[in-house]
Amino acid sequence: METKEWLKAALNDLSRAGIDYADGRYLDRETESITVRNEQVAALSRRGDCGFGIRVLYKGSWGFAASARLTEADVMETARRALEVAKASYLTQREPVKLDEWQPHRGSYRTRFEVDPFAVPLDRKLELLFTAVKILRQDKRIAVAEGEMNFCRTEKLFLSTEGAEITQSILESGAGTEATAIEDGDLQRRSYPDSLGGDIATRGYEFVESLELVENAERIREEALALLAAEPCPVGKRDLIIGSSQLGLQIHESCGHPTELDRALGTEISYAGGSFLTPDKLGNFRYGSKIVNIYGDATIPGSIGSFGYDDEGVPAQRFPIIEEGIFVGYLTSRETAPIVGKRSSGAMRAESWNHIPLIRMVNINLEPGEQDLSLEDLIADTKDGILVATNKSWSIDDLRLNFQFGCEIAWEIKHGKRVRMLKNPVYTGITPQFWNSCDAICGRSEWRIWGLPNCGKGEPPQTMHVAHGAAPARFRNIEVGVKK
Amino acid sequence: MIGEQQILGLLKRVVGRSPAERTELVYMGGRTDLTRYTKSAIHQNVSEENTRVYVRVAEGKRLGVVTINKLGEEELLQAVAKALELARHQPENPYFEDFPQPASYQRTQTYFEATAEFTPAGRAETVKRIFAQAERLGFEVAGAFTSGEAEVAILNSNGVAAYQPLTQAAITIVPVSREGMSRSSSFSHDVREIDFERVAAKALERCALNKNQQEIALGQYDVILEPGCLAEVMQWLCFISFGSNSFIEGKSFLAGKLGERSMGENITIYDSVHEPEAQGLPFDFQGFPKQRVTLIERGINHGVVFDSMSANQAKAQPTGHGLPPGMPYGAIPFNICLQPGASSVEEMIASCPRGLLVSSFHYVNGFLDPKKALMTGMTRYGTFLVEGGKIKHAVKNLRWNESMLRALSNVQAISRKREVIGDEGASFAVMPAVYIKDFTFTGVQKEESGPAPR
Repeated sequence: METKEWLKAALNDLSRAGIDYADGRYLDRETESITVRNEQVAALSRRGDCGFGIRVLYKGSWGFAASARLTEADVMETARRALEVAKASYLTQREPVKLDEWQPHRGSYRTRFEVDPFAVPLDRKLELLFTAVKILRQDKRIAVAEGEMNFCRTEKLFLSTEGAEITQSILESGAGTEATAIEDGDLQRRSYPDSLGGDIATRGYEFVESLELVENAERIREEALALLAAEPCPVGKRDLIIGSSQLGLQIHESCGHPTELDRALGTEISYAGGSFLTPDKLGNFRYGSKIVNIYGDATIPGSIGSFGYDDEGVPAQRFPIIEEGIFVGYLTSRETAPIVGKRSSGAMRAESWNHIPLIRMVNINLEPGEQDLSLEDLIADTKDGILVATNKSWSIDDLRLNFQFGCEIAWEIKHGKRVRMLKNPVYTGITPQFWNSCDAICGRSEWRIWGLPNCGKGEPPQTMHVAHGAAPARFRNIEVGVKK
Repeated sequence: MIGEQQILGLLKRVVGRSPAERTELVYMGGRTDLTRYTKSAIHQNVSEENTRVYVRVAEGKRLGVVTINKLGEEELLQAVAKALELARHQPENPYFEDFPQPASYQRTQTYFEATAEFTPAGRAETVKRIFAQAERLGFEVAGAFTSGEAEVAILNSNGVAAYQPLTQAAITIVPVSREGMSRSSSFSHDVREIDFERVAAKALERCALNKNQQEIALGQYDVILEPGCLAEVMQWLCFISFGSNSFIEGKSFLAGKLGERSMGENITIYDSVHEPEAQGLPFDFQGFPKQRVTLIERGINHGVVFDSMSANQAKAQPTGHGLPPGMPYGAIPFNICLQPGASSVEEMIASCPRGLLVSSFHYVNGFLDPKKALMTGMTRYGTFLVEGGKIKHAVKNLRWNESMLRALSNVQAISRKREVIGDEGASFAVMPAVYIKDFTFTGVQKEESGPAPR
């Protein structure tokens, strides 16, 4: 590949110019997105995106430049621009950046899959979506029925002045459906298997088929309609059981983001915010109750937060974040890990060739409970509570402390039984207080990993694909509803 | 920058050679440079050059869209062929009739050489002066400074040939003290219009006030919202209320209720690219001239924006708010404006017996109940208790839950002066400050561990 040779030559030139370190990333991506809404194809497009980025560390200051023009002259010019940018950064330097030392890797990684989604005929994909949407639409109160599929193939090359040379080929497939019921000024939505696009995995078209969108369409439609007639969720403190996918988002916002070490060190403070989990708390802060164990793991086959190497060439790893309720680990990079006396956890990821890598979540998971408790067991063990499922709204403060989530659906639990459906459930809390109130987590048989393809961070904004594994769990005495 | 003649020439050659019945090409490309800093040092500094061409073809009422970021004529023709293949596999779209016909566009001034020529060293020297300004008060500074240039071109087989160059400069300054933070920002197509020292001074003055934050009782307070607060709320309203799809599908509070009152008589909301404070793209991403669209007029639901297909579906006219091809959202306003009033933030504070001055909102979410425009969010970068017409002290950040229909029915005063809030060339909001009665606060930001589980 010519681009590889040009990038190598550019990195050699930079080395001769006296830089500390440089890396080059080439990326070629193809995506297909299909949205069917009611009786129409609302969007169907294919997108190609290809280019390269060069990151330079000059006297301890970073510079990055990227271009889509794939000629030798442009690669050389982009390297020169990256160095110019790094020299500008140096003008304000207070502490030089030092990288955690890693033996440079030479290797490759490839997603394992059964059916290439790009080889599946479009007619077959459309038929599946139209069939599901037709079932969702079988009531005139369903104003909008929607189905979508998304596929993405990414070929990546990573080179560094240290001698790393890594290729990766990552395939992603995802799908989901949604029904919106409207009657008398009330709007209720049900999504399957999750909101905001469904579920997504590093698998082939077999993953889409395994979701059983058609088989679940009738239930989703009926739940959306039943919500129109349901009572609003009451206001007050209640025991709360959170379903697996909503708990995934809770982990995302209240554990994943605050344990990104760059955020904790202040690099996002002028955008989405910082973190209450400051380095002085590492190893000694009680984040949750003793049954709360949260870890990062980028090695889980098929999950969307998995890969072979991060965008600094560090191998994918499994690492602890919360152990028996104590905050023990961050997501880190080669630059930040030494600051807290650790090695990089391999979490530096860039959305594409034109973005600089940032510390991003991988698969951030809550360990299932030790006993193999089922959701029905947990409900049976709850005297007076609310069960919530599927995210509808999300908001958290700039230190990741005060959160409020809304869900699509809830059920009231009395004396161990679901007694009625409730609409517009909202719950709120303070992160450590909330996780300390966790007194039961369902077991391995209820544990599931959820792909989240829209995690935002950084300026210019980057969207990352991450995932969260969780089983339903119970939290005592949680504020439900909105007090006026 | 490639230039008008070269881009339109390339697009014209591709459309001329396209085997499709109808062809539309949308080009976007340029360079974006961004310098980010924290603790008064640059920690991220990037420069990106990119292009994107959206190829949309039509065979009868069947449409296909392919996007690439390569500019070779043969590569673009391959994209046309792929789009044609996609179109042939799709069902007919009953709302598609044709691509737009040629039109004239009202010129807007969106390109300035001084911005295009701003260098990484220029950005570094600028922020270094701000760091020194802050250091004199013992504060550190975080934020971002972006500058760049872009071109947008649209050409179709009906003869539409639109081109607009843009530059943008935007700075965010967040001084950080041991006790709190503040934020000030500025956006302009012309970097020379940004008074960096004044923007920094405003942020530093506010940061000095944001200390010793006290916790206050939750409940309803009169609020003075500075312009950035409403900008975030309005961006949500654009998505859940003022767009074509939410209106047609019945999700918007305007659906079936045009002509009815939703807000106070002093509220007029519109989308416009011809404001005294800022100008935008004079056409949409289909090549329709961008019209000024009144969304709320003196509190009455007036209308929403449309692209060509949503207009056909709603039996309305396109307003010039189409998004790039391949997006499933219909038309959305992206230059939202609130009509100014006659007041000022100082006058609002002076007239407030007891209330809160809110510098910024954070993490607003509008999906709670879109039909009521019910939203939640936090306050950020300085929230202050006002008593007897004076700022008394800073308070801790607060969570709010409020219907924006209720809030915008309770507006007591609107400022004369508006701010442009944006960080991209084509999308911005022009917002004043507002005084709202009885805004609902439901939570507070605090670090608190919980009791051990039972």
